[in-house]
Amino acid sequence: MRYLDLAIGKALDLGAEYADIRVQRTTDEVVMLQKLSLKNTSHNQIYGYGIRVFKDGAWGFAHNKVFTEEAVLATVQKAYDIARLSALVNKEQQLRLAPERSYIATYNTPVQIDPFCVPLTEKVDLMMEVNRTLLSYEGIQSARFFLVSHKDEKLFASTLGTRLELNTQWIDPMITATAVHAGDSQSRTFDEGGRATGWEWILELDLMDKARQIAEEALIKVKADALGPEQRRSLVLDPNHLGLTMHESVGHPTELDRVLGWEADFAGISFATPEKLGNYRYGSEIVNFVGDNTLCGGLATHGFDDDGVPGQKWHIIKDGILQEYGSTRDTALEIGLGYSRGCNRATHYYDQPINRIPNLYMLPGKEPLTPSQLIADTEDGVYIQGRGSFSIDQHRVNFQFGGDFFWEIKNGKLHRPLKKVLYKSNNPEFWNSCDAICDERFWRPFGVINCGKGQPSQTARMTHGSSVARFRNIRVGGSQ
Amino acid sequence: MNASFEKIVQYIKTHCEADDYSLHIVGGDNHETRFAQNRITQHLAGPDLDITLNVAFDNKTGSASVNQDDPHTLDHLIKTAQDIARLNQPDPEYIGTAPAAQLPQVDNCDPATKNLDPKQMVEYVNQVIQRAKAMDARVSGMTEKHHYERLLFTKGGFLGYDASTSFGHSMTLKKDASETKVSFAAKSYAGFDPQREFDRLQGQLESLVNQQSMDAEKIAVILRPSALGELLRYMAWMMNRRQSDEGFTPYTGQMGKLFFGDKFSLYSTLKNPDITASSFSSEGIPSQEITWIENGVIHNMPSNRYWAQKQGHEPKEYFNFYVPGGNTSEEEMMKMVPRGLIINRFWYIRPVDMKVGELTGMTRDGVLYFEDGKVKHAINNLRFNEIPYQATRRILALGPNEAVSPSTSIPSLLIDGFNFVDKTSF
Repeated sequence: MRYLDLAIGKALDLGAEYADIRVQRTTDEVVMLQKLSLKNTSHNQIYGYGIRVFKDGAWGFAHNKVFTEEAVLATVQKAYDIARLSALVNKEQQLRLAPERSYIATYNTPVQIDPFCVPLTEKVDLMMEVNRTLLSYEGIQSARFFLVSHKDEKLFASTLGTRLELNTQWIDPMITATAVHAGDSQSRTFDEGGRATGWEWILELDLMDKARQIAEEALIKVKADALGPEQRRSLVLDPNHLGLTMHESVGHPTELDRVLGWEADFAGISFATPEKLGNYRYGSEIVNFVGDNTLCGGLATHGFDDDGVPGQKWHIIKDGILQEYGSTRDTALEIGLGYSRGCNRATHYYDQPINRIPNLYMLPGKEPLTPSQLIADTEDGVYIQGRGSFSIDQHRVNFQFGGDFFWEIKNGKLHRPLKKVLYKSNNPEFWNSCDAICDERFWRPFGVINCGKGQPSQTARMTHGSSVARFRNIRVGGSQ
Repeated sequence: MNASFEKIVQYIKTHCEADDYSLHIVGGDNHETRFAQNRITQHLAGPDLDITLNVAFDNKTGSASVNQDDPHTLDHLIKTAQDIARLNQPDPEYIGTAPAAQLPQVDNCDPATKNLDPKQMVEYVNQVIQRAKAMDARVSGMTEKHHYERLLFTKGGFLGYDASTSFGHSMTLKKDASETKVSFAAKSYAGFDPQREFDRLQGQLESLVNQQSMDAEKIAVILRPSALGELLRYMAWMMNRRQSDEGFTPYTGQMGKLFFGDKFSLYSTLKNPDITASSFSSEGIPSQEITWIENGVIHNMPSNRYWAQKQGHEPKEYFNFYVPGGNTSEEEMMKMVPRGLIINRFWYIRPVDMKVGELTGMTRDGVLYFEDGKVKHAINNLRFNEIPYQATRRILALGPNEAVSPSTSIPSLLIDGFNFVDKTSF
């Protein structure tokens, strides 16, 4: 804490209007098993601090890994000097920070079994058993198991008087089986996308059962028919597919920095502009999206963001209407919002925090409805599980998605497995075509651990979620 | 060589007990000024360091990385990597670390760029913002400079060291409904002129003012180098020797055969002064002249040391990209087909089908429609689903080369029948 006080004191002495210091240690353990060859078994740790200074309507950010009084003071000075340089350009259009109060708090991800305390041999033995199982199936040519355990330990102090200690963790197992048959090759992946929890989740998952399932489904998929030409059909989408669709077509367009054009040169902007707040029909009346950085197990549940703003829960889309954005202290006031929703996050100590997607999920349907009932009610459609190819334009309007496993639905029944299925849609067509959502018994989270954004590029994590849902009259067809 | 790197090497040599090991050190110093909507929104600077140690006891491996170079942390690094290896299962694909090798001389470092004053970078930003304001437009982008040093040392005797600098400036200009982008990237900022870059940007924007709606179709395209660069990244990534040998890519069984169009070639080269080249790969493969594709025939595919040894060929990795161009100007290309599109850039390219080699993506930053040899108007953005190696078989002409990144020199291409499948609303 000595360095925290030193940095904040120096920033105030220099005349900073606001400053913060974030000391962060990031630890990863990665095990990657390709067939039965351990391609990567590594333990990676980086440790340092980033200092932000806000002066005359501009930011300066400097980072360092050297922990001495001299280095901390020099880093504050550097951040201050950079802010002053930026301010020369921003004279006519200064940035402003939304008000926030001070907090003294700690947050720890609830973990029963710390993955870093589980012996490596236990992890590798499990992974070997999974891959041996996959490779025991005739026709499975490749097996890949990727296991990452991650933790961030942060100390945060700001000139507002905030002092935080935040310790977050997540774990992600991902298993892929690839089958080769008659000149084609198709993969099937078990991927829940990571969860902020401990090793107990791995034990609950029964990965051997998942391995048998994906091996069998990869073999079904490689021999499946491709879908014919594109035509309008119904889509029934599983939560572990829909997670990526909502990430790209709802999550990114409602980041306030994109709305303001701050990502215009790289990640793109958003069609969901401020004049649409409160009146734009983003989805049908049953579509409700919530930003929730308090979600248990959520990858964006950190207690506080890197502005020192507490995690919150709010409607982004309510009854189909665009309500609000995910915001930060430096974006909120740009649209007259007097508070931040706490979405400013940095990946590593050396990253300046930027506006990120919160945990964002679609609420389940209010009426009792099971996936079986939903399929039984569908005449002609495709049921999609898992994530596949994904691509969306830089305004977040037009998109094309694939998937990982597909069934054709005919007359209310799963008729035949398919492969190489794509659907094309756009905002607002897609979410307005949602006509049924299964109830809360079937709601499942889906994590994203590799959301790339920003220059220099940062990789953020967040959790999405939904129940199985149906979308009518979407262009669905085979790939080329 | 960097003295602190040498000190780390000595420490590892003295203290690491593993049968075999490789030490990879990357150190850098960065300054990045990000601007958006005519003001600076992010501005960051600082050094970074990554020290990665890969060790092996027999064929049991472990790896660890840290970003501090004090003895206590290096002890932790060695112990962690060694503990992992001792506890680990044997890796049947482990081969020893790279032996000593003769490395080519490269020159990737510009001292003036390393020492470029941040005040000068902010002045560049200020100049383009003032130009944008003067035309009642908004500009967003980033100015950046980097200096990197990289060392690879192995117990097998390999020692490689590279230093590099890079300067980049990209900007997107938006006025009313039109937006477009230009970018500059090189090892040195010496060739950068913010006024000239803005002139280019403004010219591009003005060409987009008259925009009309167009549906997707198969149509001839002139891919400007920035568009081809986006496509090439994915084409290159799919061309993996092991993946192909095992049946997962479209290149399976195509080595030595005419598979791409005969007008298309791809090399990694140490002889082109316009592009940088690292002298060794992360595995310790020395860089050398490599013909990947020549006149459409696949001569080599990237292959790591294990797969190369197993299959009995030489290991090779990309260290830069050179696609030789031609002399056909954009004006001449427009006269070679009845009608077509000029594509400035692609965006969000993703694989659709790895086995087939099919990609999807969108156009971005301006699409121009031409007919009868002349640009008629701009059009909305389009989505493509295309198989790039097949598209190279439809190359009609090649333009002059341009460096689209410090390590990539590629031309513009005129390609017939590019497969657009959807359009967007802007």
